[in-house]
Amino acid sequence: MKKKVLSLILVAAMGVSMLVGCGGTGTEDSQSESESKNSEAGSEDKDGEFVVKQDAIDNLIASSEGKTVHLDVWCSETTAYQEVMGEVIEAFKAQYPDVSFEIVIGAQSEAGCKDRVLEDPEAAADVFVFADDQINDLVKAGALQEVVTTYTYDPAVTNDEATVEATKVNGKMYAYPLTASNGYFLYYDSRYVSAEDVKSWETLLAAAEKAGKKVGMNIGDGWYIYSFFAGADLELTMNADGSNSCNWNNETGLKVANKIKEIASNSAFISINNTDATARMKASGDLVAYVDGTWDATPISEAYGEGYSATKLPTYNLDGEDVQMGSYAGYKFVGVNSYSQEKGWAMLLAEYITNEENQSKIGVATTEMPANTEAAKAPELQNNVALKGLSEQYPFSDRQVVGGKYWDPAASLGAGLADGSITDIQQALNDAVLGITQPAN
Amino acid sequence: MKKMINIIWRHLLLIFLVIIWLFPIVWLVVTSFSSYKGVNTFNFFPEEWSIDNYVQLFTRPDTAANFPAWFKNSMIVGVCCCIISTTFVVMVAYAMSCMRFKSRKGIMSFAIIAGMFPGVLSMIAVYFVMKQFGLIDSLFGLVIVYSASSGLGYLICKGFFDTIPASLREAAKIEGASQLTTFVKVVLPLSRPILVYTVINSFLSPWMDFVMARLMIRSKDANDWTVAIGLYNLLDRNLINDYFSVFCAGGVIVAIPISILFVIMQKFYVEGVTGGAVKG
Amino acid sequence: MKAAMKKLLQGFKNFFADFGNAITKGDIWTRLSLIFMGAGYFGRKQYIKGIFMTVFEVLCIIAFVGFFLPYLLKFDTLGDVERVAVFDPVTMTDVVNDYDNSLLILLMGTMGIVFVIAFIFVYILNTRAVYRLQVTEEQGKHINTLAEDIRRFANDRFHITLLALPALGVILFTIVPLIFMVFVAFTNYDENHLAPSKLFTWVGLDNFISLFTTSATATFGYTFVRILAWTLIWAVVATFTTYIGGILLAKLINDKLTYGKRFWRTCFVITIAIPQFVTLLLIGKMFSNYGIINGLLADTGILEFLQSIGLVGEGLSYIPFLTKPGWAHIMIIIINIWIGVPYQMLVATGILMNIPSDQLESARIDGATNRQIFWKIIMPYYLFITGPSLITSFIGNINNFNVIYLLASSGGYVTTDMSMAASQAKEIDLLITWLFTLTNDYSNFKMASVIGIVVFIICAVFTLLTYTRMIAGDKEEEFQ
Repeated sequence: MKKKVLSLILVAAMGVSMLVGCGGTGTEDSQSESESKNSEAGSEDKDGEFVVKQDAIDNLIASSEGKTVHLDVWCSETTAYQEVMGEVIEAFKAQYPDVSFEIVIGAQSEAGCKDRVLEDPEAAADVFVFADDQINDLVKAGALQEVVTTYTYDPAVTNDEATVEATKVNGKMYAYPLTASNGYFLYYDSRYVSAEDVKSWETLLAAAEKAGKKVGMNIGDGWYIYSFFAGADLELTMNADGSNSCNWNNETGLKVANKIKEIASNSAFISINNTDATARMKASGDLVAYVDGTWDATPISEAYGEGYSATKLPTYNLDGEDVQMGSYAGYKFVGVNSYSQEKGWAMLLAEYITNEENQSKIGVATTEMPANTEAAKAPELQNNVALKGLSEQYPFSDRQVVGGKYWDPAASLGAGLADGSITDIQQALNDAVLGITQPAN
Repeated sequence: MKKMINIIWRHLLLIFLVIIWLFPIVWLVVTSFSSYKGVNTFNFFPEEWSIDNYVQLFTRPDTAANFPAWFKNSMIVGVCCCIISTTFVVMVAYAMSCMRFKSRKGIMSFAIIAGMFPGVLSMIAVYFVMKQFGLIDSLFGLVIVYSASSGLGYLICKGFFDTIPASLREAAKIEGASQLTTFVKVVLPLSRPILVYTVINSFLSPWMDFVMARLMIRSKDANDWTVAIGLYNLLDRNLINDYFSVFCAGGVIVAIPISILFVIMQKFYVEGVTGGAVKG
Repeated sequence: MKAAMKKLLQGFKNFFADFGNAITKGDIWTRLSLIFMGAGYFGRKQYIKGIFMTVFEVLCIIAFVGFFLPYLLKFDTLGDVERVAVFDPVTMTDVVNDYDNSLLILLMGTMGIVFVIAFIFVYILNTRAVYRLQVTEEQGKHINTLAEDIRRFANDRFHITLLALPALGVILFTIVPLIFMVFVAFTNYDENHLAPSKLFTWVGLDNFISLFTTSATATFGYTFVRILAWTLIWAVVATFTTYIGGILLAKLINDKLTYGKRFWRTCFVITIAIPQFVTLLLIGKMFSNYGIINGLLADTGILEFLQSIGLVGEGLSYIPFLTKPGWAHIMIIIINIWIGVPYQMLVATGILMNIPSDQLESARIDGATNRQIFWKIIMPYYLFITGPSLITSFIGNINNFNVIYLLASSGGYVTTDMSMAASQAKEIDLLITWLFTLTNDYSNFKMASVIGIVVFIICAVFTLLTYTRMIAGDKEEEFQ
């Protein structure tokens, strides 16, 4: 009874604050209205934060009595992920012994998450893990629940700043940061190429050639080709309407593209995708350095054995100057479906999965760098070779904010440069930029 | 002598062709016996042989590969589908072939045109129709999707029925048999080849299709998938290096019952398809 | 063709003429059944039928008003209230307004229209039946009892019994989706207007215009022409190669000089038994840039040879079987031969074994050579029999999703034509796979529907050209 009264008062207080909030400006549209309401509610929180939030949770528990709370969770299909997620969810259930849960973990690759969710948001999982580049499309389709407030911890404080920034669309937070390691860097086998060699493409290729080995990177892919152009400070950004701005066809861009072609035509270089590359390392062992991300850490460490090392991407020489390659820094987020039937529980679960303890648990199990600054300090993670390579590259990386029209033209450009089929590079760059910058539908 | 050369020549050619045709199949089979789980890109034969992939398939289902459940689901869908589809096809074919009614030709032309609409495109609409009926995420829904429109595929069966002499049906009619009786007692017993053909075809479709199935089965829990969804999923870039040879083993297991079915039913199948094609 | 159209129009005319006739000449009961569908039966003492029809009518009206009408009323705009959800932090639930779902409005509206048409159809049929009943009574003839009426459904009206369920399935799962997708082509349903969160609405012919225009930033026209051309080339080549290949293989195996026919046949049939997507994915992996075929050919000098004659670019360390236009086009056709020939061989075997032997005998007596016999007797006969299935497989190849999609995805194809890439297409795409990419990866339903309609029209035209043969109506009797 006491609780009910309290919550009634709270609702009333919020209602009043809402009226006050928009009382002054009657002409404000509904969007800013709800915004002001949120900020007012936020300030209300500061006074009796714990009581309010604990009370909301208690209410939720009370209202879930006598029914089964059904939640679907989608996360990566790899065994490591599935297992650790299973543990996390068991622990979550144990936190609320009075509630009967039925939580099903589904295997859905983070890369394809957006496509599956957008098919029918109403039938998608309540809570899903996705890669940060999908956030714009998901928000545009209204599939993500805005993180108006949180109940057990504040993700904006505990997580790495850049990561938190990446969860925001138009200033509003739409997801809970989980990991900050969806980027790429250079793996190498120190038995064949030294730490000195891997500093630049020129020395790396020379060393590999001398050893009769190969160096690889998947140039025929927009995600990777970006690193060359970003290094030379060329522009690729997304506009408000979802289209892109890109200046890769200017003079510097032409030089960069020529350089890419030069690197690709080196006999010690092969353009090869992740799957083929790891297979090749195991089968023939002639690939001694490769640009890849943490997801392939296990097969690569097995292939390289004691020579297993990782570092930032190499520099390349442009007009006598060494240019450090850029890269994409990617994140993984946990999102709550805005069409979830059990939104309260879905939000609590998303918070639980991304709290410090579980981020560190998931990070250790899957060798991914947690977004939580404390969890990232775990010794297992700090000493991890792949994560060390990632963090060396991190200062040179950019957040991946790019419109959907980028990928296909960029991949074509990369593939054409990689196999040398592009002869008129300026023309190819112009075409690519036209494709990349075309209006988003 | 010339004949001898001819014989040798044509057998050599056949051997050559068979090698080409069986090359991928043999690779599938030997890879399924490889102890290395990823894609082997340098050696045709595995370096180490093992039956572990099969053991894993049947005894160690995990979150990515749950073959027993997939097999069971596909079997249920396949069997239900082939019952409903075959019934529908035979019913429509009988009406079109053996009965004469006013709108018959109109319906036949209409069916041909309607059958031409690309299924891939209407998928999303079919999905939302099924959602209205609350039938997504269920095997029953999948059965309906596969078999509901099967009546459109009546042409080959009708062609077969056309070859059954009309005099037989007339004789039955004179003896006072109704159309229903004629259908069940006279026409069906003579249609074994085409029945086998239709049954095999409709049984197979759920084993082959992953696009529609993936849309209809929303669940990402491997327990709820069919063989096609599951095997396709194993080649995802996160899984392929750990599951490629398991994928191959799965392919072999699926192929075995179907091959046996084909080899036994080959005669009927040929008769069915050609009998139908005669007046397709 | 013309005759068929005429007949169709005549049929329509008769249908409505009968209806008008029934209204003008009907008595009180017949006219009353314009309002109560069962009235005419009550008048002739067919009470059960009367009750049944009246209940049917009431149910239809309830379904229409309660279910379809709300959607149909919004059909003109496809809804105008967008979803607004406000989160309540205390109850941890959303307060959602009463929003419109454009997709549901379009879908249920479509179903509603089909429902109404079906109802009107039944309604007119009913009126005609009631009038016929009236005429029967006036002429003093016997009026069927219920049992007799039911028995007719196993006899002269057996086709209705047979067709009812299959037709329902086709209407719900083929016709309704078809009309729905045609409607979508006239809306702006795309990634910026995804239901249920956003509304979409009618835009007229905009999408068709953008399919046929090309500008610096919109390349749909450019892409469409090229993909259409490849689709047609593919369909022709794929159909004929497997067709001819099947015949040749069947002849090779079934010749009396060949020993172990069953064994050879089984070898090829095995390839049919493995699900197509498994073999295709596998072959795609085999022929990928760093796949096993390139691995096995690595040190044989073939790559260098191909480079020296200019078929493979100098910079490559592999043969781009499935990753370069040209190479990929040809490989796909070859792989399709691998896939399709065994099936065609089975068909051909069946037909060749059934060739009327008297013709062959007399030709032999006339001194014809084997080659002459094959081209002058066997082929014409074979073509005559399989002609219709040739058209079916041509259409099937235009819509051959599996081969192209699976080989492109597992082989790792990347578009080299920038203008095509800008429209999310690959050089090896067929219209059908392009359409799939547009819906699946880019939620661009409006353009996909336009493409779908084009595919549909192409198929329909090809079929109509061969219409008379496929229906083969006049020859049915003579065969039986």
